[in-house]
Amino acid sequence: MAPLEALERDYPLIDFNFRSFCASHTIFTVEDFLVHDLNALEGFAGREYAPEKLKQGIKQVVSIIESEHRPWLNGLELLEDAQVNKCTLSTGFERIDVLLQRGLCEGHVTELVGPSSSCKTQVCLKAASYVASKYMGKVMYFDTGNSFAPKRVAQFLSQSSDPTNPEVSKTVKQVMSRIVCHSIFDIFTLIDMLHQLMSDLKSQINCRVRMLIIDSLSSLIAPILGGGAHGHALMVTTGFLLKELAHEHNVSVVVTNHMVAGEAGISKPALGESWKSIPHVRLLLSRNHANNGSSVTILKHPCLATGKSTDFMVM
Amino acid sequence: MEVSSLPISASHRGKLISAGYTSLSSLSSVSPSHLAQVLKISENEAAGILKVASGRSGLDKIDHGSGAIMNGAQTAWDMLHEEESSLCITTSCSELDEILGGGIHCKEVSEIGGVPGIGKTQLGIQLAVNAQIPAHCGGFGGKAIYIDTEGSFMVERVLQIAEACAQDMLEYNNLLRKESQACRVDKQPKEFLDNIFYFRVCTYTEQIAVINFLDKFVSEHKDVKVVIIDSITFHFRQDFEDMALRTRLLSGMALKLMKLAKKFNLAVVVLNQVTTKYTEGSFQLTLALGDSWSHAATNRIILYWNGNERYAYIDKSPSLPSASAPYAVTRRGIRNSTSNSNKRHKLM
Repeated sequence: MAPLEALERDYPLIDFNFRSFCASHTIFTVEDFLVHDLNALEGFAGREYAPEKLKQGIKQVVSIIESEHRPWLNGLELLEDAQVNKCTLSTGFERIDVLLQRGLCEGHVTELVGPSSSCKTQVCLKAASYVASKYMGKVMYFDTGNSFAPKRVAQFLSQSSDPTNPEVSKTVKQVMSRIVCHSIFDIFTLIDMLHQLMSDLKSQINCRVRMLIIDSLSSLIAPILGGGAHGHALMVTTGFLLKELAHEHNVSVVVTNHMVAGEAGISKPALGESWKSIPHVRLLLSRNHANNGSSVTILKHPCLATGKSTDFMVM
Repeated sequence: MEVSSLPISASHRGKLISAGYTSLSSLSSVSPSHLAQVLKISENEAAGILKVASGRSGLDKIDHGSGAIMNGAQTAWDMLHEEESSLCITTSCSELDEILGGGIHCKEVSEIGGVPGIGKTQLGIQLAVNAQIPAHCGGFGGKAIYIDTEGSFMVERVLQIAEACAQDMLEYNNLLRKESQACRVDKQPKEFLDNIFYFRVCTYTEQIAVINFLDKFVSEHKDVKVVIIDSITFHFRQDFEDMALRTRLLSGMALKLMKLAKKFNLAVVVLNQVTTKYTEGSFQLTLALGDSWSHAATNRIILYWNGNERYAYIDKSPSLPSASAPYAVTRRGIRNSTSNSNKRHKLM
């Protein structure tokens, strides 16, 4: 919230007199205004020169603040929103869908965490190709490590479609045109891109976005985390932006994270304790070297029990 | 607090927040001179802050065409076509090229690691020479940048490999009997040396400085096609007390290399050393620099001994299956491994 003088242009009631009256009570910004006792302020205004104008000014600032807050919702409205607007997207892997009871939810931020080469990128690519082919809407892929392989996406698409169908190549073109890939190499660009995406979706210029995949978020945050509190603040800001994007615009957000060494040699997910509460769903992926398959375990889910796991194979 | 997510310096951010400017809308109607007065900074600095803020809020007003949803994005279909028509840098060993899908790809950062003496530097030198193979022989005809941190770059060896490469190209052309032989220019071994830009770094700060400088360097020398860093580990292993700082520096470096590879469409090859790690009850050999670094590269190739032969194994790749292939280090450089000759007898 701005200092009060920035409001003068749009609201002429907040003129120089009003501001010097506020300044005499050490109120310079709207935040100071909010923490002050408004009844006492009105009492003081009554004793000043031109009290009516000052009281109107106080009411004006209060109404500006009230127009800024988000609307109240009740449980029934939320349930209706969840049932009508937010559907569940299949990941393309039958066994993961069974584990998650139908798949990834729109409106949820899902985190895939695992050690290196545990198929996180493969799951992301397969989910992107499956969602783009089966559901109407775009898939946004934010790639930080140049690991978006269009060849692999084409492979996944040709696996799932009928090889005898001559129309296959046309549909592959259609589907792959719905997957939009962007390379991002620092956190500020990511925040800019998320703002841009949100304003695009708000003004409904284009068709809807079903899924946003950020592979990997931890490589963007690692250079800034630890050197003071600012890196931490940026990480949490990004997390809240992702949650807002997921909820407001019915997008399923998927991010990947890596593992670091924890106590007693056991690995733990990177990005620390504050990050743990930001994603709605956390899935741990690991490679099973014996049969060249992978397994996924639920670390956190709003509706399912943690600890459940299943094996799957990436073809 | 939207202002905290703007890319401005920490002191400016602190001053803005304490003066009450915490959202972008509050900065939209302020003039630079007024802001400079309130924050007690110079007018140039205030103008810079307002420019960054208006850049962020100005994104809302950009007029988009009906096609791409955002500026700078590409659809997967366009990228597939680009990838199909792109070339790779061959390693001169056909089995290795096969498992790599043609060779080292551009726009990717490939990490190659192995025990000492396995041939990492030899592979690096071979790639620096092979990036210069001219277009009529199926190469890029580009230049190479070699960043040496260990001092293991021997010019005599590079000359040897370059001579062998020039000979191979001559044989290839004679076999094909190209009609345009008159206008074909033979590449001399010394020309290969001319086109390798060599940087010697002696501390980690120099290493970070060189990588920051590469952006400007490559925009002036647009035909650089490969950047080889041999090795990225050396200055980060000894005498580094603050491990958190090391992780931050390495992740920052990885992002810069990725950006370089993507922006200038070149291949970045990073050579790494090995260390032991205690996993699953035993000590195993893994690549150095820790868990966070293992996520930094696009591809990872591990070189190892199998009996008396050298093998390469693809450990991490977004599109290639895991596979291994044998190779040999010969007098002429990296070549296919033949079953009996060219083996090194390990000293017991």
